[in-house]
Amino acid sequence: MDVAWFLVLSAFIFCIGIAGVLTRRNPLVVLLCLELMLNAGNLALIAFARMHGGAAGQVFALIVMVIAACEVVVGLGIIVALYRHRLPIDVDELSELRG
Amino acid sequence: MDAISFGWLVLSFPVAGMLTVSLLWNRLPGRLGGWIASGAILGSFLSSIGMFVDLQDRPEHARSLVDSAWTYAATVDFKVDMSILVDPLAVFMCLVVSGVSFLIHVYSVAYMASDRGYSRYFAYLNYFVFSMLLLVLAGNFVVLIIGWAFVGAASYLLISFWYRRATATYAGIKAFVINVVGDVGLVIAAFLLLDKTGSLDYRGIFQATDNVFRVDDGTLVAACLLILLGAFAKSAQLPLHTWLPDAMEGPTPVSALIHAATMVTAGVYLIARMHPLFEMAPTAADVSAIIGTATLLFAATVAVAVTDLKRIIAYSTISQIGYMVLGVSVAAYGPGLFHLMTHAFFKALLFMGAGSVIGAMSAAQSIDRMGGFRKAMPFTFVTFTVGALALAGFPLTAGFFSKDEILGFAIARGSGYVVLAVVGYLAAFVTAFYAFRMVFRVFFRNAVPEARELEKGHLAHHEPENPASGEKEDTDVGFPGPEHHIAERSWPMKAAMGPLALLAALAGLVQVPGIDEAVDKFLEPTFADSRYADVHPSTGTEWTELGIGGLLGIAGIGLAYLIYLRRRSLRLQIRERFDALHTFLFNKWYFDELYELLFTRPVAALGRFGRNVVETDFVQGTIVGGATGVVRVGSSFARAIQTGYLRGYALMLLVGVGALALYFLISSS
Amino acid sequence: MTIHLSIVLFMPLAAALVGALLLPQQVMRWLVFAATLGVLAYVVVMLADFDSGSRGLQYVTDDSWIPELGIRYQLGVDGLNLFLIALTAIAWVPCTLWSVFREHERPKLYFFNLALAETAVLGSFMAQDLALFVVFFDLMLVPFYFLIGGWGTGDRVRATTKFVIYTLAGSLLMLAGAVALGALSTPDGGQISFSIAELTRRSTSSGTQEWIVLLFAAAFFVKAPLFPLHGWIPETYRSTPLPVLALLSGVLSKVGVYGFLRIVLPTMPQGAQHFQELFIVVAVFSILYGSALAFSQDNVRLVVAYSSIAQLGFITLGIFSLDPKGAQGAVIQMVNHGLVVVPLFLIIGVIASRARGSESLSELGGIAFRAPVLATLFVIVSFATLAMPGSPNFVGEILILFGAFENKLAYGLVASAGVVLAAVYMIRFFQRTMHNRPGPAVESRDVDRLDFAAIAPLVAVIVALGLYPQFVLHRSDKATTARISAAQQVQSPVASRQSPGTRPVMVLKDVPKP
Repeated sequence: MDVAWFLVLSAFIFCIGIAGVLTRRNPLVVLLCLELMLNAGNLALIAFARMHGGAAGQVFALIVMVIAACEVVVGLGIIVALYRHRLPIDVDELSELRG
Repeated sequence: MDAISFGWLVLSFPVAGMLTVSLLWNRLPGRLGGWIASGAILGSFLSSIGMFVDLQDRPEHARSLVDSAWTYAATVDFKVDMSILVDPLAVFMCLVVSGVSFLIHVYSVAYMASDRGYSRYFAYLNYFVFSMLLLVLAGNFVVLIIGWAFVGAASYLLISFWYRRATATYAGIKAFVINVVGDVGLVIAAFLLLDKTGSLDYRGIFQATDNVFRVDDGTLVAACLLILLGAFAKSAQLPLHTWLPDAMEGPTPVSALIHAATMVTAGVYLIARMHPLFEMAPTAADVSAIIGTATLLFAATVAVAVTDLKRIIAYSTISQIGYMVLGVSVAAYGPGLFHLMTHAFFKALLFMGAGSVIGAMSAAQSIDRMGGFRKAMPFTFVTFTVGALALAGFPLTAGFFSKDEILGFAIARGSGYVVLAVVGYLAAFVTAFYAFRMVFRVFFRNAVPEARELEKGHLAHHEPENPASGEKEDTDVGFPGPEHHIAERSWPMKAAMGPLALLAALAGLVQVPGIDEAVDKFLEPTFADSRYADVHPSTGTEWTELGIGGLLGIAGIGLAYLIYLRRRSLRLQIRERFDALHTFLFNKWYFDELYELLFTRPVAALGRFGRNVVETDFVQGTIVGGATGVVRVGSSFARAIQTGYLRGYALMLLVGVGALALYFLISSS
Repeated sequence: MTIHLSIVLFMPLAAALVGALLLPQQVMRWLVFAATLGVLAYVVVMLADFDSGSRGLQYVTDDSWIPELGIRYQLGVDGLNLFLIALTAIAWVPCTLWSVFREHERPKLYFFNLALAETAVLGSFMAQDLALFVVFFDLMLVPFYFLIGGWGTGDRVRATTKFVIYTLAGSLLMLAGAVALGALSTPDGGQISFSIAELTRRSTSSGTQEWIVLLFAAAFFVKAPLFPLHGWIPETYRSTPLPVLALLSGVLSKVGVYGFLRIVLPTMPQGAQHFQELFIVVAVFSILYGSALAFSQDNVRLVVAYSSIAQLGFITLGIFSLDPKGAQGAVIQMVNHGLVVVPLFLIIGVIASRARGSESLSELGGIAFRAPVLATLFVIVSFATLAMPGSPNFVGEILILFGAFENKLAYGLVASAGVVLAAVYMIRFFQRTMHNRPGPAVESRDVDRLDFAAIAPLVAVIVALGLYPQFVLHRSDKATTARISAAQQVQSPVASRQSPGTRPVMVLKDVPKP
């Protein structure tokens, strides 16, 4: 099978992820979409790894998964902390960084 | 020891005295500080005599010695040594300066005895004399300028000695600034001479003068006029004279020092020293002669009108310096310097007498409040009168010989100079008049309460007030203490005034026309190169001219006698008749007001304009405001991007990555 | 090649680091003070050991630092910077001593910054590599930023902001200029170099030189400061703590004008010559403007601030007269100005402490009464500041004026009015504080021993240099002349072109001057 199909799929998933991050206001969904983008990346990595026949790409994919797991932990932790402080679970309300 | 070593000694003594007195200022008991300072000046005087003797032993052509202690400053085409020049002119000046200064020091020991700033006073006084000696011994322009400026600084310190008086500090700053104007003139003149002659040493300059310059060369005239600026600032000639009357704010012995021995004579010395230049630039010499003459007449007229005793003598100084400037400008070097000497004697004497009278008046200085001190203060009366006679040019006194010789020389130069001499004679008459106006109004007529009390043996004491402004005096810094000192009760004051009275009466005898002419002969080696060396009135003419001067002096005294003693109503009548003239003279021809209008106010206005308009509107408004404006606009743009919305940042990230990708795509294809 | 200069350079910083990390603050401040003394001792030895006959660099350190960019760690001393290094060493001692005996918040940080500042200033005087110079020049900003912002008085935030923005803007322009100079002067196929000696040998077109000179001038004029780039002066001078201000005004301001002699004139002679007239006008205007403003200020610090503008104007005038006398005068005047400004600010500190902190002339007065020693020190410093003949400043000023007269007579004459104005504002300053009736809150008390120990040695140096200014001239003569010779040679043909039909060089003296 041509590697292009995998890449197209990866790009689709990535775009869905971006759209989600940019448009959704619920941090949980944003987090989910972020996962989606990471996995799109993973897909591309593995596809290329197969194409070149090397193992490096697969190792990278594994590392990304680990990072993603850590990120989910931290992200969920923050969301829980927000919930505990009875703050609105809405990313647009969390604009402390405004200059 | 040779003359040069003595020359260095002359300079070292006052420095040593100054350092001793100032370092031990709080440890010296009683009047010791004053005596140490006086001793230092006595040392200078004796060393000057040493120079004099050694110089006389040498042949005439070898009486000019130069010595350098160390290289002061040298760079590419500029080399200055710390050098002194000892020649008859310098020795003559040293003798006069240190001799008269010594007597003034002795006088001060008693006069300033109860002042809180006793040590400070004598440290300044020694510094003053040192500066003046440095000035006259200088061997090149830079050392001259150093001495020149030191004199200005010392005069500043001494004029504002009683620094709690606003008038004194104002007078100090005025004197200092006018003197700095003169310094700048000298600096520029020094540059012009260096540029043309390649040297700053007197010898180098004078040797090159004849080769480099034509007669009345433009540059040379400019240099000479700039030198005159310096000389006139220091010698208080028109139009830079305004600081001198105000300098009366200093203690009276300081006035004596400034007016008689040091400082104001510096200008005369300078012109005499620079005579090779001035003779090559006759235009500048003529300017100098004319200004000298104008000054001598102007100051004499003012002295007739003012009522402050010290200021009368001050204007008389300006006037007498005018005679000297006239003298040295018409190449009458011997007579000019001779007048410098005799003037030093009688002017110091007059100031000392005035100081004694002011002591008796408990610091009041207006002659309107004085009178009848003749019996109360016999010693002061006699010595003061001797001084006044010399000032008036009464026959056979010192001033008689010196002043009239100058005028005789001017006549001998012929043509326009005769006019100057006539003006000089006119002023001589006025001089005699105002000299005895002082004598008659202070010592004759009805005794004022202070004089009557003093006759009973009690020295008056008033609440101290500033004689210039009438303000109540702040006595913290010492003036006027609870004690006053008058010559009759303090032997050091008598010891100083006695010799001066003798000199004022008799010093003329060293230069009697046709008989001895000692001053001329002594100074001859310095002025041997003068192209007017043979212009000299014959002895007969000279005696005629002396006779005219003497008669005018006597006439002036007679007129003063008539107005102030015989027919006193005359005085008020004259004053009413010429009211406008009197006001004009009394306000000193409005020079102060003119300068206020021309210089002080514009500079102050400029400063205000700079502070209020340029600084705020231009520097802070346009430049700073413009710069901060740019920064502010930039930062507000940057702040606008920082929305705080997560998706905003994500979008920017995306756009950035997209742009990068696009860039690589385009550039790779 | 020796390591001496590196030792001198980093001694204060090392002492401060050790002290800050390992020692209690009471010991640390003394260690920093000891380091300034150590620098001074080293410099004194260097003064004695210096070979005044040579015009080249001595005690050179030359190592590769960033080879890819041709940047070298290159230090050296010649007659030009010898006395500026000495001035730095001398000035830091009393200012540190003054601080040692006064309490500060966060003392360790304070003294660390003070020491860092000394290293930075010494570095910019010693650097012989343009990039290294730029590094040290910007490093100077850091400690002063913290010192003014952290220990300043009054509206210190505003002052710090202004100071930083001004000097940083200047520095950045200079950085651009330095990079441009290094890059554009590299010959085809050659290795880029920032070494000043190398840059002097290489050449750039005069068009290039002109705009680069302007970039450098912006930085140096801000640092000096000269009119109209002095906008940061009033706030900064009002807010800076006095010992820091003494260093800022006395030493830092010299780095800029020093840069002209070290960098601009040798490496870009045509450019410097091109702007000679403009810079002289700026200098003369600064002299008059600074003097007039100093005359109308009420705050004592600002009197000195504006007088500095005038004095720096004189120095710039001397440099751009492009005459050996003028440049030599400028060098000696840099040293002199530093030597008078430092005690002047310390004296202001003493005076203010006798007037319950007031620094306004209208509230001061009459302090001399019970303070004869203070008055004496002050009067000597005042006379030196107004360049009274006999003071070292006079020698500087007369050389500057002579240099200016030589080439630009008209400007020289205008500038000499500044001498008179200096007399007015300095005497006014002295009188309004020490003389007249005492102000409402003034308490007349003489200088105490510690303050005396800080001020008196400086006054002694002033007096000594006044007696023997040749000490400086003798050592700096050759190097200074060498630095301006390139720009001077550019000038001569121009001058002779302007007067056609006359022989060059020889004739210059006879041509009527403008």
